[in-house]
Amino acid sequence: MRVLVAMSGGVDSSVAAALLVEQGHDVIGATMKLFCYGDSVPDRPCCSLDSITDAKLVAHKLEIPHYVLNLEDRFGHDVIDNFVAEYARGRTPIPCVRCNSFTKFRDFLSHADALDCDAIATGHYAIAHDGALFRGLDRQKDQSYFLWGIDRGVVTRMLTPVGELTKQQTRVVARRLGLVTADKKESVEICFVPDDDYVSVLEQHLPADAPALSPGAFVTTSGDVVGEHGGFARYTVGQRKGLPGGFDEPMYVVAIHPATREVVVGRGAELFRHAVSLEEVNWLVEPLGPGDPVWVQCRYRARAVPGTIAAKADGRIALRLAEPVRSIAPGQSGVLYDADERLLGGGVIV
Amino acid sequence: MTKRLTYLDNAATTPVRPEVLEAMLPYLGKEAFGNPSSAHRFGRAARAGVEEAKRAIAEAVGAEPNQVVFTSGGTEADNLAIIGAALAARDRDGPFRVAVSAAEHKAVLAAAHAVKHLGGEEVILPVSASGVVDSGALDAVLAEGVALVSVMWVNNEIGTVQPVAELASRCCDAPPAPSGVLFHSDAVQAFGKLPVSLRDVKCALLTISGHKIGAPKGIGALIVRDRKAVEAIIHGGGQQFGIRPGTENVPGIVGLATAAKLAAQEQQALAPRLGELRDELERRVLAIVPDAVINGWQSERAPHISNVSIPGTDSEALLMHLDLAGIACSSGSACSTGAVEPSHVLTAMGVPRELGVAALRFSFGKDSTIDDVDAVAAALPRIVEKVRSLATVLHR
Repeated sequence: MRVLVAMSGGVDSSVAAALLVEQGHDVIGATMKLFCYGDSVPDRPCCSLDSITDAKLVAHKLEIPHYVLNLEDRFGHDVIDNFVAEYARGRTPIPCVRCNSFTKFRDFLSHADALDCDAIATGHYAIAHDGALFRGLDRQKDQSYFLWGIDRGVVTRMLTPVGELTKQQTRVVARRLGLVTADKKESVEICFVPDDDYVSVLEQHLPADAPALSPGAFVTTSGDVVGEHGGFARYTVGQRKGLPGGFDEPMYVVAIHPATREVVVGRGAELFRHAVSLEEVNWLVEPLGPGDPVWVQCRYRARAVPGTIAAKADGRIALRLAEPVRSIAPGQSGVLYDADERLLGGGVIV
Repeated sequence: MTKRLTYLDNAATTPVRPEVLEAMLPYLGKEAFGNPSSAHRFGRAARAGVEEAKRAIAEAVGAEPNQVVFTSGGTEADNLAIIGAALAARDRDGPFRVAVSAAEHKAVLAAAHAVKHLGGEEVILPVSASGVVDSGALDAVLAEGVALVSVMWVNNEIGTVQPVAELASRCCDAPPAPSGVLFHSDAVQAFGKLPVSLRDVKCALLTISGHKIGAPKGIGALIVRDRKAVEAIIHGGGQQFGIRPGTENVPGIVGLATAAKLAAQEQQALAPRLGELRDELERRVLAIVPDAVINGWQSERAPHISNVSIPGTDSEALLMHLDLAGIACSSGSACSTGAVEPSHVLTAMGVPRELGVAALRFSFGKDSTIDDVDAVAAALPRIVEKVRSLATVLHR
């Protein structure tokens, strides 16, 4: 079978490609160039970027072709613009979800189709099996949370060769094969946000007087003004840093009101919710409806909790949670699983 | 069965010719590895190689042996010509200004830009739709006063030929008398494909490169008619009259000389053969893709380069599909791979963006045959169809 592998230049996708080659597939490697890396150095081609070079070296070692796919325009529109717009309206977006939904498992698939590929593969820690998606075996690395938005039809055409490995095993395979990426440091940042400084990205894309970056009030849940902040886009529900002091217990951001530019602070106990609503809902199974039980995960690093679909309309669902969940942040993903850790779908938290 | 591979990217680089490799080997091994500046027999052996090489290159381009300055390649030679001439002009209180055509190789454009960074001026001469330098703009800059004008002999992306003899004469005849304005031409793509002789052209400075003509990468030369006209841009010992210090790359120099000699000898027979292959390729491409556009078709072109835009596609996807079909070509200059922008050359010629991003460059070399053309013609219909439908999906 002919497979187009998305090779980021990291160890996971390198090993994904290597395993597919070992399994005897006709493998083509491709690195998606999603944004301009080098605008500080005019005329310097981005193809000299280290991660692309690493992917090329791995492909050469595996004796497979490798190409750079320029998806800058579409990624800029589908992912970066949305990232900025979401912060501008007081939410905390997850660009990796949109990248998977729009870029990796849609645009990339179009390229795969044009190349007569039967399937696409990535280095995700998730397991695609018989048209169903499951959590990766290594629960520390499981990335299924970011995959809820992909087109249902893609699941039958995606391969997840490292999904059944632990990260350690992945590195062992990389070392066994002598891949240059074997001991490469893990990237945990958002790829287009340098030095984890997302505010600087917002500053580049938003006008200088944008409300999201303009001063506003800190208020308590009872409405008292307790200080001034430098822009609500700098805050996320559940955040503790950068808040005014002088309280008898730790305070957290419990809500953001973009219309009044208020950042609401409250005590830890005020962060818990028994319900969550999702929009832009996408299903990877036959859509569920009111009364159906699900497991709900509201943050990448959070535990899934049991819940029930309470209501459903127009691509939105409301969920009741069987136990309270802390720091549910609008813009993050609410991801639904069944008891067998199968990914059912998800949506953006309202 | 191994797939037959088709290499139509000879303007990017060529393999080292066996004759060249053979000529170089003594200078890599114990026989003649010496430093040409050394006083002993090892040094003398290497020096002999360098001096013979200068003679051979001078003969191949119609210059004198002591006018040959070896560099690490075309890029360095272009930089030495442009920055070196600008610095020399500044030192004698001449105009600290250089003029280059908008369709130049990046090595020339970036060197002109460097002159600006050093406090001088860069003037970009516009080109017409056929890629030829605008005459009025040249007159204006010559009247204003300029240290050097640089216009490439054959464009590396499109293959268009500039009237270098005429441009060089106009520069020579411009003030200040008696010698006028320095004229430099990057002849990297012209040499070996067109007759290139400084006997016919009043070119003060000429760039050639080894790896485009079957010598290794990392060697080139600048022909410098008057050494006072150029100042060194890297500094070191006194090698090569101090214009380009550093221990000479003797094996590379010998390789360049061997390749240059062969290129000059073979040019007359090679050019018509490559021209026929190019014409046949273009006929077939137009038959398969009737709305394809041959860029630069209006002008005189070197025989080995064909630049074709295929509407409704993008070069990146075409190259990928062609590579998978065993066909190597390029989207223009190799340096802009990965960038989504159309080539600056096509843009300067006024080619619309949607055609600029859909351009392919096929470039022929001495090993090219009609089989290569057949391979492209066989693969192209399906590839164009695939890439066009991909573009429709991605631009929905």
